[in-house]
Amino acid sequence: QDDHKLSTSDLEEKYGTSITKGLSSARAAEILARDGLNSLTPPKATPEIVKFLKQMVGGFSILLWIGAVFSWISSGIQIAQGAESPFDNLYLGVVLALVVILTGIFAYYQEAKSTNIMASFSKMIPQQALVIRDAEKKELPADQLVVGDIVEIKGGDRIPADIRLIFTQGCKVDNSSLTGESEPQSRSCDFTHENPLETRNIAFYSTTCVEGTATGIVINTGDRTIIGRIASLASGVGNEKTPIAIEIEHFVYLVAGVAISIGVLFFIISVSLRYMILDSIIFLIGIIVANVPEGLLATVTVSLSLTAKRMAKKNCLVKNLEAVETLGSTSIICSDKTGTLTQNRMTVAHLWFDNQIYSADTSEDQTTQPFDQSSPSWTALSKIVTLCNRAEFRPGQENLPIMKRVVVGDASETALLKFAEVILGDVMNIRARNKKVAEIPFNSTNKFQLSIHETDDPNDKRFLLVMKGAPERILERCSTIMINGKEEPLDSEKAEAFQTAYMELGGMGERVLGFCHLYLPEDEFPDTYPFDTDSMNFPTSNLCFVGLLSMIDPPRSTVPDAVSKCRSAGIKVIMVTGDHPITAKAIAKSVGIISATSETVEDIAKRLNVPVEQVNRREATAAVVNGMELKDMSLEQLDEILCNHSEIVFARTSPQQKLVIVEGCQRQGAVVAVTGDGVNDSPALKKADIGIAMGIAGSDAAKNAADMVLLDDNFASIVTGVEEGRLIFDNLKKTIAYTLTKNIAELCPFLIYIIASIPMPIGTITILFIDLGTDIIPSVALAYEKAESDIMNRRPRNKKTDRLVNEQLAVYSYLQIGIMQSVGAFVTYFTVYAEQGFLPSTLLGVRVNWESNAINDFEDSYGQEWTKYQRRYLQWTGYTAFFVSITIQQVADLIIRKTRRNSIFQQGLFRNKVIWVGIFSQIGIALILTYGLGHVTALNFTPLRFQYWFVAVPFAILIWVYDEVRKLLIRRYPGSWWDKNMYY
Amino acid sequence: GLILLFYLVFYGFLAALFTFTMWVMLQTLSSDIPKYRDRISSPGLMISPKPDTALEFYFNKSDAQSYAEYVSTLRKFLESYDDSKQSQNINCTPGRIFDQNDVTVKKACRFNLSELGQCSGKEDKTFGYSKGTPCVLVKMNRIIGLKPEGEPRIQCTSKEEGMVEINYFPPEGLIDLMYFPYYGKSLHVHYLQPLVAVQLAVNSNSTKDEIAIECKILGSPNLKNEDDRDKFLGRIAFKVQMTE
Repeated sequence: QDDHKLSTSDLEEKYGTSITKGLSSARAAEILARDGLNSLTPPKATPEIVKFLKQMVGGFSILLWIGAVFSWISSGIQIAQGAESPFDNLYLGVVLALVVILTGIFAYYQEAKSTNIMASFSKMIPQQALVIRDAEKKELPADQLVVGDIVEIKGGDRIPADIRLIFTQGCKVDNSSLTGESEPQSRSCDFTHENPLETRNIAFYSTTCVEGTATGIVINTGDRTIIGRIASLASGVGNEKTPIAIEIEHFVYLVAGVAISIGVLFFIISVSLRYMILDSIIFLIGIIVANVPEGLLATVTVSLSLTAKRMAKKNCLVKNLEAVETLGSTSIICSDKTGTLTQNRMTVAHLWFDNQIYSADTSEDQTTQPFDQSSPSWTALSKIVTLCNRAEFRPGQENLPIMKRVVVGDASETALLKFAEVILGDVMNIRARNKKVAEIPFNSTNKFQLSIHETDDPNDKRFLLVMKGAPERILERCSTIMINGKEEPLDSEKAEAFQTAYMELGGMGERVLGFCHLYLPEDEFPDTYPFDTDSMNFPTSNLCFVGLLSMIDPPRSTVPDAVSKCRSAGIKVIMVTGDHPITAKAIAKSVGIISATSETVEDIAKRLNVPVEQVNRREATAAVVNGMELKDMSLEQLDEILCNHSEIVFARTSPQQKLVIVEGCQRQGAVVAVTGDGVNDSPALKKADIGIAMGIAGSDAAKNAADMVLLDDNFASIVTGVEEGRLIFDNLKKTIAYTLTKNIAELCPFLIYIIASIPMPIGTITILFIDLGTDIIPSVALAYEKAESDIMNRRPRNKKTDRLVNEQLAVYSYLQIGIMQSVGAFVTYFTVYAEQGFLPSTLLGVRVNWESNAINDFEDSYGQEWTKYQRRYLQWTGYTAFFVSITIQQVADLIIRKTRRNSIFQQGLFRNKVIWVGIFSQIGIALILTYGLGHVTALNFTPLRFQYWFVAVPFAILIWVYDEVRKLLIRRYPGSWWDKNMYY
Repeated sequence: GLILLFYLVFYGFLAALFTFTMWVMLQTLSSDIPKYRDRISSPGLMISPKPDTALEFYFNKSDAQSYAEYVSTLRKFLESYDDSKQSQNINCTPGRIFDQNDVTVKKACRFNLSELGQCSGKEDKTFGYSKGTPCVLVKMNRIIGLKPEGEPRIQCTSKEEGMVEINYFPPEGLIDLMYFPYYGKSLHVHYLQPLVAVQLAVNSNSTKDEIAIECKILGSPNLKNEDDRDKFLGRIAFKVQMTE
């Protein structure tokens, strides 16, 4: 598209329009029919119902649905056979379906909270536009605009389409939503740049006109506008599965695999043991229900959202819950510089006077400046800094700290004003006492700023001329230089010293200003002298050079620490900035992205005094890559840079190049976090594993494309987020290990019931009460567990090898702790039966008679006879006892899961109070179920003798002792066989 | 290899632990009476013969084959009541609880088969099935230590009035208190629980009809017979259909 290069008449011809008359209504209607409405097409949204149904069949839901359907089938068969209690299975089916539906609704609700990216793009569409059609000015809805329309814009309007400007008057637009540049940019009719994005004569759809007026021809509408193309690009970037989603999927497959294989195996076994098919199906349901941790996925969601809340408190607002963990597995952070690593405000960093460089305090909350202020040169310099400055504090901020006050004026003048205010106090008062009589503001041709003042010394009637500007320009105008308060001639030696200082400050990436002054002789310039700034009837050369001040947007004080944390956490921090390479490198060095000892290829070349080409690129750990170089690089070259250099700065990059960098990092197998604020950052934000938008500076589109919003724009907050993310990964491991353990204790009863034909030890409903009742709060409580060791001292987890649920975790939970729990629960079960008259030997092989409705004189070990119902009630007592035993042992399981390596005593038994809430809730719910609801027949609970609560206690203690021994051996013998097999 | 060894040791230990705790638990139990008897506070009723198909009697009185199983079941059931088997049993005082708490060797009371009259199987080897007057024995479940109060007796009713005439042996379906209490399998070796025979004389015009009969234990305040959930607690319902 070359519309910005064409002349007005060419444009008129191209679009068949007229600048004065506009399009005819008929022609406009034709074009509208051809191009469609001037609005962004929303992406094809998945219908809500489809999303909902997806939740209903995701995860373990399929297994539970199978269980429910089998329940209904078997209850149907039982009804047909006229069995005694056909509704038990019907209820079970309903309960299973309810479990699926409720967890599905829960998950759907969580997903619905993540907002749609297109929503904010469409909100940006302007409502009305002033259009010339049929030679008349008309107010039209903006979506009716067509290519060739002549539109008029004034300050405050949103630009209704991409417009080629043909007439402007002081027009400035705010392109921040598109490019991230926060300064309003002036627009004119002139073609200023080859790139349509850079040229001044095009105003873009959805940006805002800040001031002035303009008229232009619509050249693009709807999806063909620049922002429309970015929007489609952003939604075109696929949403990759988050690492935690992959982990959970892996875990679901694992558990489902175990459930199905055990289920099918025992189905075959029970059929071959000549059980009826119907019974075998019921066993299958039981095995599935026992194996599936029904509450776990909901627990994981809750844990993640708890962490999300905690992160929000630390200024990381997470939009997509799963991003919480993604941040933890991040291995590369591509960070913006301005505002994220830096404070986003110019601050005086260095001074040069009396042939010496002084450093100034650049921290956020400075109240004094520590450098030596006794020299009379400083007094002179400070006067220039104070007087030759047009910036002013907005009134009414006297109580605010100086650094926080709002200033009217440009960035450097603001810096100087605040600097002076900190050192000298009330600048406004000083200015009032040194009345300004003339002034020449800064402009780009002069490159200096000048003002003339009366002095505050009543005995000194001279005028003081003060000037600041580009150092070399200022020096040109000077013939003397002030050293220790005395004017000395500016010889070549002193000029050399100036050059050295100037180079040094400039080399630190700082913006340097020179300052000079001149006391005008009283006789030539009496107090009535008419100063005229146009004719410049006063000297502007042979001045006295006083000093240099250099400014930089300094790093946030928390950032160097955060960067070094990243370093020890094995996270590579890459700076991506639009700034000049020298500035970028200086900031990178000062925050530690480039460490003090490492060198770039250029540094090595300079040190060895050889051409850059001769340097071995591998020797350089750091690299500063210019956007122009990046443009010409092949993907392989980029990969090589990302691979070979551990410290990388990308300078002068366009936001589009961010996407290239992100993709490059992802090709290295890294989990990439990217920060961004502009609209055109949104593809990179979407592409990244975790997009981080700036909360203060960020545009809506960036916030929408991102997974996370950084409320304070501070890089250090990302690092705290990483810490939280890593913690939740560890804690989810604990939660899952905790939850999986009791599944074995729920499964074993079924297996032994089938094989040994004992009365059923635990009911399916009872299992659901454990999975969705007693166990829920404790497993969430593990999310509050503190880290065992410094999680920021280890490398990011490897996506491929560090699984959430690894073999060791499953084996340890299933085959060791789970089996111990089963043993404990079976002891309770046999105790209950034995004390009621059925010794263990009597129970083996009784299943058929035990369950027969016709046998009502079933003889126990003591010769007593039991009716069916009496046996059934005893069976429920057995269920309750088994349930209570599992609960008691889950308390021990909960305590051992607090740590994976450390002893419980190292971790502190009481540090995590929520664990105790969990334990009490667990026992409380069990008490309510057994004693409160023990008389509700459908729930199969009975009030239990109190002593049965303690049968499993020795086993609970054993579990705890065993796990302490396990941890002790792991700590003692790292890397040993034990460590490899027992550490999960 | 090592991992297998580990699990061998681990599970071996768990098995040993399980066995040990079970052993300890069993040591706390008495071999004579169970620790708790609260789950069976009141006895259930049961009948003999017990048809395979849910307590429904179907037979043809002229076809011996159709009731052969009932007859053989009854015969077998009554074997232990045979006089020869009751030689060690003593004659107790009727109408009184036979308390033997102080005695180490508990004696069993004799239950004379003659008490069952026409249903004793002595005169009529087919227990009345061939004559259209089938006998059903009703027994009360054994419960250790149960002492019925009052004068417990079995009474059966038919929902359909006039279809069937019911006779009881011993008369009025009385269960004598002298058979109580029961001291358990190991202490009370030759114990025989008292029986009540119910003879159903089906009206000749009611053959081919299904007759529902419910027997209940009455006359004893501490024996429940109306539990909502337990249909066999102190009562039993069965059906009889006789053809000619």
